[in-house]
Amino acid sequence: MKPIGVVSFGEIDGMVLKAIAAHILGYLRIDTEIFSPLGYPGYAYDPRRLQYDAGAILKAFESLPVQNYAKVIGILDADLFVPILTYVFGEARQGGKCAVVSLHRLKNNPDGSKASAPLFLERAAKVALHELGHLFNLTHCEDERCLMHFSGGIRDLDTLPPYFCRYCSVYLHDGLALL
Amino acid sequence: MDKKITIMIVDDEPIVRESFLHWFERLGYRVETAASGIEALEKLKQFGFDLLFVDIKMPGMNGIELLGKVKEEYPDTIVVIITAYGSIDTAVEAMKKGAADYLLKPFKPEQLSLVMEKVLNQKKLITEYQYLKGRLDKISRFENIIGQSKAMQTIFSLIQEVAQSDSSVLIVGETGTGKELIAKAVHAKSRRAQHPFIAINCGALPDSLLESELFGYQKGAFTGATHPRKGFLEIVSGGTLFLDEIGETSPKMQVDLLRVLQEKKITRLGDRSLIDVDFRLISATRRDLEEEIQKGNFREDFFYRIHVITIAVPGLRDRKDDIPLLVEHFVEKYSHETTKKVDQVSRDAMALLQDYDWPGNVRELENAIERAVVLSKARTLQKEDFSFLCSPVVRTAGSRSLRDMEKTHIENVLDECDWNITRAAGILKVNRVSLHKMIKRYGLQRPL
Repeated sequence: MKPIGVVSFGEIDGMVLKAIAAHILGYLRIDTEIFSPLGYPGYAYDPRRLQYDAGAILKAFESLPVQNYAKVIGILDADLFVPILTYVFGEARQGGKCAVVSLHRLKNNPDGSKASAPLFLERAAKVALHELGHLFNLTHCEDERCLMHFSGGIRDLDTLPPYFCRYCSVYLHDGLALL
Repeated sequence: MDKKITIMIVDDEPIVRESFLHWFERLGYRVETAASGIEALEKLKQFGFDLLFVDIKMPGMNGIELLGKVKEEYPDTIVVIITAYGSIDTAVEAMKKGAADYLLKPFKPEQLSLVMEKVLNQKKLITEYQYLKGRLDKISRFENIIGQSKAMQTIFSLIQEVAQSDSSVLIVGETGTGKELIAKAVHAKSRRAQHPFIAINCGALPDSLLESELFGYQKGAFTGATHPRKGFLEIVSGGTLFLDEIGETSPKMQVDLLRVLQEKKITRLGDRSLIDVDFRLISATRRDLEEEIQKGNFREDFFYRIHVITIAVPGLRDRKDDIPLLVEHFVEKYSHETTKKVDQVSRDAMALLQDYDWPGNVRELENAIERAVVLSKARTLQKEDFSFLCSPVVRTAGSRSLRDMEKTHIENVLDECDWNITRAAGILKVNRVSLHKMIKRYGLQRPL
């Protein structure tokens, strides 16, 4: 079975990538590899919104030769948006191959204070696992105690557990079995 | 969230359409897109949608115009307006014209969730309103089932057990035994109690009407289908569907219902798209369905689908112990309804009521008490107040001539029907005009 790839766009603290890879390995029991960083996606910068277009990054990401990996998660520091939303924590196409995760809004708490390192790493791992769920064709889950439940903000993200509900776990393992 | 709703995004910008499409697909919704108002109306005509996100600024037909047309032709479709900063006035105008809400582009992810929550609540209210409106004329008095007899106690404990499962239930019993009340009790004690209970009498509707009532239809599916309409199988969503007189359904309808029970999916008349349905089926019949299977009138596979659990309701004559309790209940009920101070039943009257055979079961008993209470002039109902229950005195003809025999027979039938000409004509198999002529010819007179 091909492993899950984890890669950064530009320079990212290696600890973040390791934490994400460890969570994927731990929860999905599937080999995970961190590979060499990709270039920073300056092409996706929107000067009107002062943010990076998640759709454009995803499109470019999907065109890269990543056939050695079953799925790939790209991590970057930039603030991401999609045209209809002010920001997104991450973006993935349903059943697609690549997903992107932004760390930009995970660093601070809702009250503006800086998040502790363990909390920041937990948030990053949660968003990565959530986007990976979409890559395995999981949709948002109604169960508030499931990682696939939609989180509209950092407060919601913090209340989500770092694991999937029983049903999403079954669907996820169905998806893994197809690899 | 209700994943059964269908959404259409109407925006001339492909990137916005794609963004919405992607977002809602991840939420598990069925989503369509349209690049213009004209395309949106075409798609609405074809498929019908529950919710539209409409951009205000579009070339050709703008969002406000489209909103007007949608509200005119598809009043139940919910419209959310998408607008940019700086065009709040137009958004306010849209709200006045019937938009459910508006979103300012770009919006925070949680705003979209809040709008969806609001819209789904609104949709639920619309569905409930339609359901209640449609059912208002059919709502009869819902009372608890009354009975202390052993037979009824067994049924009560069976209802408790059956309510916990989601299996199909078949209620068998003579007419007037309270089959619908039992179905309502099963529903009320089940996990579906918060969802609708819809009762349909299959015997009262012609096949084509039953089909459109159950499955719904798209606009233009048949003459007179001017608007798309949801069927009861969709409206009942999450609740219980009670099909009374299931034995009267045609073999074609049995096949259609069997498919729905197996696949939990339906298609509206004139439409091809599959719609998920979720309901518990309770059926009732006064016929012996196994006998109907032997005769070829009822499908065996359908029978096994609907009678996972059977509740046999005894006739009133088989639980006469319950009569005093029922009498007391109906006297109280009708004295309250008619504001007549009737609160007792004499011993003789009660004995008569307990001796009577009650072919029409509890319904007949209820009607008898209602009639007695309405006509009674005293506080206590006497045996005489129930004289209509005694078998009429049957006259025999004085001579054996055909004319005398006919005259006596007509007179007996008229008395039996309390001189209701329509009913008597029906029994005698003549039309009303002929019966009037016969009454005149034989000089018959209604007894005072």
